[in-house]
Amino acid sequence: MTTATAAPTRPTGPSRLSRVWSLASAETRLLVRNRTALVNSVLVPVLFVLAVPALGLDGGDLPFGGRLLVIAVGISLVMLTYYNLVTTYVARREELVLQRMRTGELTGTEVQVATAAPTVLVTLGQIALIAVGVVAIGEWSAPVDVVLPLVALAGGVVLMVLLAAATTGFTRTAESAQITGLPFIIVSTGLSGLFYPLSVLPETLGEVARFLPLTPVVELLQLGLAGQTWQGDAVDGSVWAAAGVPLAVLAGWLVLGALAARRGFAWAPRR
Amino acid sequence: MHPATAAPPRTTTAAVEVHGLRRSYGDFEAVRGISFEVRRGEVLALLGVNGAGKTSALEVLEGLAPAGGGTVRVLGMDPVRDRTRVRRELGVLLQTSGLPGDLTVAETVRAWAGTLTDPRPVEEALAQVSLTGRADVRVRALSGGERRRLDLAMALLGRPSVVVLDEPTTGLDPESRRQVWELVQGLVADGAAVLLTTHHLEEAEELADRVAVMRAGQVVLSGTQAEIAETQPATIRFALDAGDPRPPVPADVQVVEDGRRVEWRTRALQPVLAQLLAWAAEHGVVLRTLAARAGSLEQAFLAVADGTHPSLTEENR
Repeated sequence: MTTATAAPTRPTGPSRLSRVWSLASAETRLLVRNRTALVNSVLVPVLFVLAVPALGLDGGDLPFGGRLLVIAVGISLVMLTYYNLVTTYVARREELVLQRMRTGELTGTEVQVATAAPTVLVTLGQIALIAVGVVAIGEWSAPVDVVLPLVALAGGVVLMVLLAAATTGFTRTAESAQITGLPFIIVSTGLSGLFYPLSVLPETLGEVARFLPLTPVVELLQLGLAGQTWQGDAVDGSVWAAAGVPLAVLAGWLVLGALAARRGFAWAPRR
Repeated sequence: MHPATAAPPRTTTAAVEVHGLRRSYGDFEAVRGISFEVRRGEVLALLGVNGAGKTSALEVLEGLAPAGGGTVRVLGMDPVRDRTRVRRELGVLLQTSGLPGDLTVAETVRAWAGTLTDPRPVEEALAQVSLTGRADVRVRALSGGERRRLDLAMALLGRPSVVVLDEPTTGLDPESRRQVWELVQGLVADGAAVLLTTHHLEEAEELADRVAVMRAGQVVLSGTQAEIAETQPATIRFALDAGDPRPPVPADVQVVEDGRRVEWRTRALQPVLAQLLAWAAEHGVVLRTLAARAGSLEQAFLAVADGTHPSLTEENR
């Protein structure tokens, strides 16, 4: 039966990657045309580096540039990747753009990835800019391990995208993202060990905080960049030996995030 | 590379097959077991008032929503399971959809073309919907009608062999509407199967080979336009002056009177009309505003819409 109606032979067309890139580059063009967003994403990291003296990070016995970079990555992931993406996804949904994109040959995941691409690129660009800034102010020191920070960054970016997608499920408008995104932003920045070691918290709270989504990213970054454990101590021995728990927690969150994104993501406005 | 002559021949196997389709939102059953087919080289118009379930049914066919029951096949394939292969052949125009405002028309089409297997050239796509002169205009600055045509160009960009158009001409001016009709007729001539919803009866009359009328989640009437029109009696309308005698009413004629205006409904238009005219001539009566009309698609549609059509059951009235 299907032979009579089978599709005529057609070219296979461009690769999946090039298809996604086609949409992603259009999204990037949109971002570039949005002057405010563009200026913010360059200005924020520059101000951040300039504000270093006021942050009072100086004077520790551990490498200063590494700690600065950890804070920068943490803040970029939460405030830019996560928050900006919740807003973007919801805005695109309410404008009925997402549903339109989903009628074509791209899969839903590919549309989500393409929409996220410019935000992710800007995040990576910001972090690179701050790294350059750290070198410029003479606070750079060679990382203890190169792989762990890269794993943390990659895992962190993917996790933020997944959590942003999941958050759209209970975010009605782009404006209300300021409220729906707040719990995650507060908890993850406050209890991830980003600004102070978790050991300063009451012991139980500190232990619980290790299992929050951003904490393993921060832990892995600190291990790799500064050779510092979650309790704020210098690692003796291999940093990989200390990385087991955060790697497992990060992997767990990635799985949970993927499930939540699949369940929670809404393609069309609620009727 | 894609001459019109290479179009697949008209086959008897349907390009779209829908059997017993159901779809619910919570307790509300929006689509209650509908069946229809669309063949290649044919337009099926799905008619119905707002809320009849048309869009809910189409979303299953488009692979945007799962069926609650029944089966849907596009070119013999499942829209969800065989998504990749179905999408390559499917062109979809949603009833309402958005495009980012800050890209130009050409950029929008080019970005979409980059996601497709075998897109038309951008220039051809824009020419198809007369937007060539607007290529460098931001989407934000387009009129509603232009935006709709851009949307249509994108739906047709991948050279689809099955086209689903959900109210394609809503919001278009008469000239654009006619242009869209010609576009659809061209697609069909090239062998595409077209499924469209509309509540413009004129559009269905112009384009549709077959019509299915939905009400409350069910297809209550389907067939060719002539078959559907035949479900309705013919009407003869006229007005009498104050002092005129009343004509005798032939057998099997239903009379609706409104003051001096008279409407007769009958299944035997010609003999009844002949009788009426003979009577008028004999009595020297002038039948003012005389009009006789065979049963029509519009009449059938309205009868379904207001719940008086004879084919309606207790359940869907």
